[in-house]
Amino acid sequence: MSASLQLRVTNRIEELPAVAEAVEALGAEEGWSQDTTYAVVLGLEEVATNVVRHGGGEPGGSEIEIEVTSSDDEVRVEVRDGGKAFDPFHEAPEPDLDAAVQDREIGGLGVHFVKVLMDETSYSREGGRNHVTMVKRRS
Amino acid sequence: MNVQMENHEGVLVARVEGRVDSSNSQDFERQLQGAIGDEVKAVVMDLGQLAYISSAGLRVVLLIAKTLGQRNVSISLCALSDPVQSVFEISGFNRIIQIYDTQADALAAAG
Repeated sequence: MSASLQLRVTNRIEELPAVAEAVEALGAEEGWSQDTTYAVVLGLEEVATNVVRHGGGEPGGSEIEIEVTSSDDEVRVEVRDGGKAFDPFHEAPEPDLDAAVQDREIGGLGVHFVKVLMDETSYSREGGRNHVTMVKRRS
Repeated sequence: MNVQMENHEGVLVARVEGRVDSSNSQDFERQLQGAIGDEVKAVVMDLGQLAYISSAGLRVVLLIAKTLGQRNVSISLCALSDPVQSVFEISGFNRIIQIYDTQADALAAAG
């Protein structure tokens, strides 16, 4: 069995809660565990938020395409956008997890969450668009 | 997202409910900053009803911890659900901010 969800939203933060709701509804239908649902919703929010904040261009001026495919053993999330080329998995700064409160940098955590919570991550640039793929094996 | 503030003899308890994400983290920060007055001795964030938090929300918790640290006011968290606890562990925040199982434990330590 597999089911999928395709969404197109503009590059505005206000669009993202509806994406999370739609993904949670798919997860409920497909019987994802709490951990799988949290990882998928978080991964998608972190990647899409990065696109909106750092992709460049006017808010609302470009589209983000999201595809979530659920099968028996995994959930595959794909995000495509026309913002400037950016590989979050290799170009984002690594947070210093051992720093004390006052020395800890604000931010840099989103990509770290994605790397830890997802089982596979990849990035490619295709036809002038960014393409991020994340896979969560179902637990 | 909803934040209920309660004062327990100078200790501010902020009960956070719902979801904190990139769309409402600025509002989350404003509500917390607005509630932390000069007279506050300690802050306890009760996350028992927090269903979801992303890096945008953790950024706010870190900002508040930094602000309070400069004033020597303690901050602790309590009653985290398993998924929320994992996010705090992955971020390493569990090593820099005290986390208690229950609000009573957090208040006893803050008092």
